[in-house]
Amino acid sequence: MRIPILKLYDYLLISIQVELDDQTVLQFQEDVLNKIHQEGSRGVVIDLTSVEMVDSYIAKVLGDVVDMSKLMGAKVVLTGIQPSVAITLIDMGITLEDVATALDLEQGLEKLQRELEG
Amino acid sequence: MHPSIKESILEKKDEIVEQWLEEIEQFRYEDYLQNISDSVYRSTNREFVDKIFETVDLCSDDVYERISQYSERLIQLGWPLNYITRGLQSFRQITVETLSNTGDNYCYDIEFYQEIESWIDNLINALVSDYSGSWENTVFSQKMALKELSAPLIPVFDEICVMPLIGTIDSERAKLIMENLLEGVIENRAQVVLIDITGVPVVDTMVAHHIIQAAEAVRLVGAECILVGIRPEIAQTVVNLGIDLGKFSTKSTLKKGMATALKMTDREIVDLASK
Amino acid sequence: MQVQTRVDIHSEWGIVAARQAGRKLAKEIGFGSVDQARITTAISELARNIYLYANQGEISIEEVASAGKRGMKVVASDRGPGIKDVRSVMEDGFTTSGGLGAGLPGVKRLMDDFDIDSEEEEGTTIISIKWLR
Repeated sequence: MRIPILKLYDYLLISIQVELDDQTVLQFQEDVLNKIHQEGSRGVVIDLTSVEMVDSYIAKVLGDVVDMSKLMGAKVVLTGIQPSVAITLIDMGITLEDVATALDLEQGLEKLQRELEG
Repeated sequence: MHPSIKESILEKKDEIVEQWLEEIEQFRYEDYLQNISDSVYRSTNREFVDKIFETVDLCSDDVYERISQYSERLIQLGWPLNYITRGLQSFRQITVETLSNTGDNYCYDIEFYQEIESWIDNLINALVSDYSGSWENTVFSQKMALKELSAPLIPVFDEICVMPLIGTIDSERAKLIMENLLEGVIENRAQVVLIDITGVPVVDTMVAHHIIQAAEAVRLVGAECILVGIRPEIAQTVVNLGIDLGKFSTKSTLKKGMATALKMTDREIVDLASK
Repeated sequence: MQVQTRVDIHSEWGIVAARQAGRKLAKEIGFGSVDQARITTAISELARNIYLYANQGEISIEEVASAGKRGMKVVASDRGPGIKDVRSVMEDGFTTSGGLGAGLPGVKRLMDDFDIDSEEEEGTTIISIKWLR
């Protein structure tokens, strides 16, 4: 299963709407990086509003996507992390410290614009 | 109960009642009963002893039913449980003594004691279980009330909320705080949450750990936390315990924290008079 | 009636199936959304460990009751290589697979009771319970 990636000006918008299995999440990592390369994107918003569970593996891959995108010159914001998901991650000791976050897609985009365009 | 025993109890009713009322009068000067007026005390005693006699020929299920109406009233009026238990104990003693003095043969029968014991024990059980049931209800509803008061999130400006924490934070409460905090952030679309710990008496490693976790979780859902209300003694314990709060912004007062929060959301408070 | 649900883990799909079954049961028992996420995540970690280290095994979930409390029990068992040093896998950040090393200590923190039993070359059984509050 593939997660659709939308392009909007300099940004990529991704809303994850499916139950994440390992294969999908790895495919997603590859697709995002290819798309950044293709479009020369400067910012990426990944919206997790519909994601009900993030385990340590998914968290690791998401963290990797953020680091890899950064290497390619694109800043990533994770948005819409549900309270239950946030609490579970914190319980497990996963804080995603260096990852930018925002409440929802809209605020994520604003955050990117503020930081990238001054 | 054996009919002959019942009969002789009822026969001696007046004697027993009289002695018991005398006996119970002595409790009056102890305990919490001092504030009750003489007439109320007497009438309650009288009613109590009548109730006891009413149950003489009931089976145990009926006893519970009969007694629970009565105990409900006693509980509401705030009569202490030990008035009940001591009253019944001395009633038992007096009954046994009175009947023994009659000199009838059955008084030396073990069955006789057993009958009276089980009659009174039944009453004690019924009353104690009613009392403890009412206490459990009270404890439960207080627990619920405390839970509701536990961690309110108050929206003060657009995008800015305050959570004042008062009292000791244990892990059960910390969980509740965390959930209320995150749900509230989403609901109010808050960008900044001020957690005010002015009312938290002690901040040890455990409490600090819970607060740090809450702040980290808030960041994950996409908002920022400012910890305010750091009193000098809290600053001292935090540093002495080697707790690292470096990742969070902290302010000594809610007022200063609010100014920071407004700044973070591109706003400020302007004094109109000075313009 | 208390039913035990078993999910075989022999592919990545088993991981997804186990956590879906787990979420469903957690919801039925009456856990709130946060505890549902905790339980589902714990199952996901346990199932992934089976898949990564033992290739196959099973996750079984069931409702339990004890001393007036209700809860959900999750048992992960496999006949894989076992864990050499149980103490070190319970340390945060310990990993042999390049993951975050949050798996087993994470499960312990997500659930209320946690018990691990592992014999080298024999396999591993992990029993964990979350109690309803």
